[in-house]
Amino acid sequence: MAREATLAAPVARPLLSRRARELLTGYAYLLPVAVALGGTVVVPIVKAMQMSLYNHVLIKPQEYRFIGLANYVRLLRDEVFWLSLWNSFVWVFGSVSLQFAGGFAAALLLHQGFRGRAVFRTLTLLPWIIPGVVVALIWEFLYQPNYGALNDVLARLGLMTEKVAWLSNPQLAMPAVIATNVWRGVPFFAIMLLAGLQAIPEELYEAARVDGAGVLDRFRHLTLPMLRPIIVVATATRIIWTFNYADLIFVMTSGGPANATQITSTYTLMQAYSNLDFGYAATLSVVLLLIMLAFTVLYLKLTRGVEPVA
Amino acid sequence: MSARAGSPGRGDLAERVLGGPVLWLGLLGLFVFAMAPFAWVLLASFKTRTELYATPLVYLPASINAANYVDAWTSRLTPFSRFFANSLWVSSVTMVATTAISILAGYALARFRFAGRQTFLLVFLATQMFPAVLLIAPLLSQWHALGLIDTYQALIYSNFSFTVPFTVWMLVGYFESIPRELEESAMMDGCGRFGALCRVVLPLAAPGVAATAIFAFVSSWSELLFAITFTSQTEMRTLSAGLLFMVGQYEIQWGQLSAGVIISTVPVAILFTFLQRHLIRGLTAGALKG
Amino acid sequence: MNDRLRCSRRQVLKSMLAAGALTAAEYAWWDEPLVSPRRAWGATPVRFQFSVPEPKRNALVESLVQRFNQSQKDFEARVEFVPQAQARQKLITSITAGSPPDVAQVWDNWVGEFEGMSALEDLTPRVKDWSGYKDVIPLAWETVTVKGKILSFPWVVTNDGVYWRTDRTREYGVKAPRDDWTFDEFLAYTKAMTKPDRNQYGFGMRGQGTWAVLYATEFMYANGAQVLKDGKVAINSPQAAEALDWYLDLFRKHKVCPPSVPTDGWRGIVEGFGRGVTNAYIHNSGSAEEQKDFVKPENFATVPLPIGPAKKRVSFYFSETLTAFKGGKNREGAWKFMSWAMEPEPHYMYSKGLGLLPARKTVAERPEFTKDPALAGFVKSFPFSIVSPYLAYAGWGGKLDSEGVPLFQQALVGKLTSREFLDKFAEVLTKNMS
Repeated sequence: MAREATLAAPVARPLLSRRARELLTGYAYLLPVAVALGGTVVVPIVKAMQMSLYNHVLIKPQEYRFIGLANYVRLLRDEVFWLSLWNSFVWVFGSVSLQFAGGFAAALLLHQGFRGRAVFRTLTLLPWIIPGVVVALIWEFLYQPNYGALNDVLARLGLMTEKVAWLSNPQLAMPAVIATNVWRGVPFFAIMLLAGLQAIPEELYEAARVDGAGVLDRFRHLTLPMLRPIIVVATATRIIWTFNYADLIFVMTSGGPANATQITSTYTLMQAYSNLDFGYAATLSVVLLLIMLAFTVLYLKLTRGVEPVA
Repeated sequence: MSARAGSPGRGDLAERVLGGPVLWLGLLGLFVFAMAPFAWVLLASFKTRTELYATPLVYLPASINAANYVDAWTSRLTPFSRFFANSLWVSSVTMVATTAISILAGYALARFRFAGRQTFLLVFLATQMFPAVLLIAPLLSQWHALGLIDTYQALIYSNFSFTVPFTVWMLVGYFESIPRELEESAMMDGCGRFGALCRVVLPLAAPGVAATAIFAFVSSWSELLFAITFTSQTEMRTLSAGLLFMVGQYEIQWGQLSAGVIISTVPVAILFTFLQRHLIRGLTAGALKG
Repeated sequence: MNDRLRCSRRQVLKSMLAAGALTAAEYAWWDEPLVSPRRAWGATPVRFQFSVPEPKRNALVESLVQRFNQSQKDFEARVEFVPQAQARQKLITSITAGSPPDVAQVWDNWVGEFEGMSALEDLTPRVKDWSGYKDVIPLAWETVTVKGKILSFPWVVTNDGVYWRTDRTREYGVKAPRDDWTFDEFLAYTKAMTKPDRNQYGFGMRGQGTWAVLYATEFMYANGAQVLKDGKVAINSPQAAEALDWYLDLFRKHKVCPPSVPTDGWRGIVEGFGRGVTNAYIHNSGSAEEQKDFVKPENFATVPLPIGPAKKRVSFYFSETLTAFKGGKNREGAWKFMSWAMEPEPHYMYSKGLGLLPARKTVAERPEFTKDPALAGFVKSFPFSIVSPYLAYAGWGGKLDSEGVPLFQQALVGKLTSREFLDKFAEVLTKNMS
């Protein structure tokens, strides 16, 4: 990108004053964003890091004091934290892989020309844009053991004899919240991949067709490679986002039953929101952030499919 | 593309099968998958109490009964009319402010070369990775210190933390795809930088800007954690927070709740319908590099 | 000016009328106040947080507040409804933020925690001078006394009992629960009342919230266990483990409980019974009036908890308090409001409206409380009721909720044995004996 820009720029003129003016204008344009993010992200991050070094439990104000890395030591010994990390992995892997599969299929379908495509596309993409609470509540209702639709449909199809409490059973709760997240996330992949598909020039397909490539060949040798950058970006974004995403589980199970759906971000949230242990919550989130940063670097290195920026 | 499905006579067998039965079955499956949960809630929102809790389950309400909507909309305890207004205000202001901030920042990052540019870009990337849960505790004490608890400002400012990084990111890619020469010539014609931005760049980048705006609106509309932490009074709750508080009550009033769910969905659905094309294009602009 | 005068005269007339109507048709008055709200000129606001929003209580509290506002000129109470699940966090956050409400309705097991934050004022001298002091039963004062200091008003009190469906018990020809029933009879009853084909379960066990642990503890006490013995935590005794196994087996082994138990809180158990999914559940008297609407008064009754193998039983006695905060902006108004709410009439109305038992003797002795079959199980439980052992230390209230309940859930779903749960739980308690 930087390369492009330099190429596209006209030959620099030796007028220093103009450059200085440009520079100033540039900084002026960035001032609002610096204020907005400085106040809502940068300062709070620093504050959170500082908080993680303190014993800061709201219900015990008299015990507020600097404790160094004690919170981090506690974290290493905290069984629930390690469990939550494993749960996060299951949650992220389950959600993203299924979302990707579903989203890819949906994108290929929606890419075809048929009557009413626009309306159809809007409808099927709806789950993605509605609020997380709404998604959680819709599915809580579907899962409700006594008057939810899922049990009833399964019973009518003869697939189930006994009522199942989807969100109360520790074995089923995680699959149930993942299914909900998949429902929500399929449209995201569908949108991204659909855009990717539409960006592939039609001529390439024509050329491949002329060369006698079948539909499957064209998919493997043309569509997939062309989509690679967008797949990388979409997947990486989604993994990070899913890892950090707490709303759905928070509303549906609050991490229960018996921590079966406790992922690291909900555990952090519960520490801050229910236990009011701000110090430990800050510690958890700092660790959460480090994990995510490490992941991003690793992922981008491994795939090398996209340039590091933009 | 349309040629493929449009002329099934052409191509090989696989193509015909894929374009025909598989396509239609797939579309049907997709439709059911995406829509069935909505249908269930929509139907539930019209049901009476007896119908909601009947055994065996009743799927179709006997009549279209708007009582749940009226109750939810006018309820003293969970006034959806108020929640709706709050959400609309918070999301709209966030949208306008985010868009303004991001246009300036995106343009600057796309066009100016200056020290710290890479740092800026990295900050935007890193911020998107930031878990929202981390911001809650520090922001809470910050808003309290500024006396902003239970105000719209607290919600709007907090929303910047997740809308701005993404929209700037999107717009940088978008602006870069617009040929620099167009502005150069406008500036030759006597426009200033800002003039060129407004008259040349923005019209060309309109789809991207629209996408940015919608993104900001939709994500603020969905925001939950800030809304439940930084507000405590009923009058200040947004739809998301209001829905959650409705669950915290004595019994889940699934009828009213379903009505609330539909009320919260409709505006974003409408917005999405009108602007989905731009949204899709804009969303992927960064990733595809125009 | 003239207008306003005339208006206020009309108001006075209306108020008198209202007072007359109150004695005539007591309940209806609370449902719909006859007097429109009066603008209190120059009155300072009193913020009152109420933490159990459900339609009946809301109506009661709203009219209560309105009534208070009409009873005097200096203060204007304003009620803020907060869902129970968020109430504690919200109070703590607002205390830390320095903006707590002036008064809040909270449970006695939270009071110690607030005291630990130095958020409460020692009311002891003031309460002792208060006219109703002697009329409030000593046990009720005990629930709000921390380290020798009275910190709140025990607004209403209650203990735990068993709700059961009289109509269905008759229909299925099952032997009805007796006042002195045993664990075995309890099991037999809940088994006989479980009809999976009709989507009915014998017992709505509670799996979430503080009381999930409290109910289980009551069963442990019936087997001779104790939370504290000689100043040490003794909840991990063999008797406790045995009783807990028995209790959890209702869900794990005998399947007399709905599958949703691990996520059923207060809302879940009351709703389950109200909609006919469960045929019995344990709760305090606070849902009695609700169930009169849901399942009709003639279709249910209450009995005390069963007697355990140790020939013992207890019912934990607790209070719903009115608590004022040091950080409140209007502490005088808070006191006025609390002491007014404890006056016989408002006190009677609130208790009666919900089926909770009044803390004042003179009110509790009225026949509406002593003679109601829906309350019989609770009144009969008084002789063996004790203050919850978890009130012994201020630090326990919150930990019960944040650590005890998740551990309990693990035992419930079989991830921990009863013994393991009790050991871990005892550890939590021991760590927080302050």
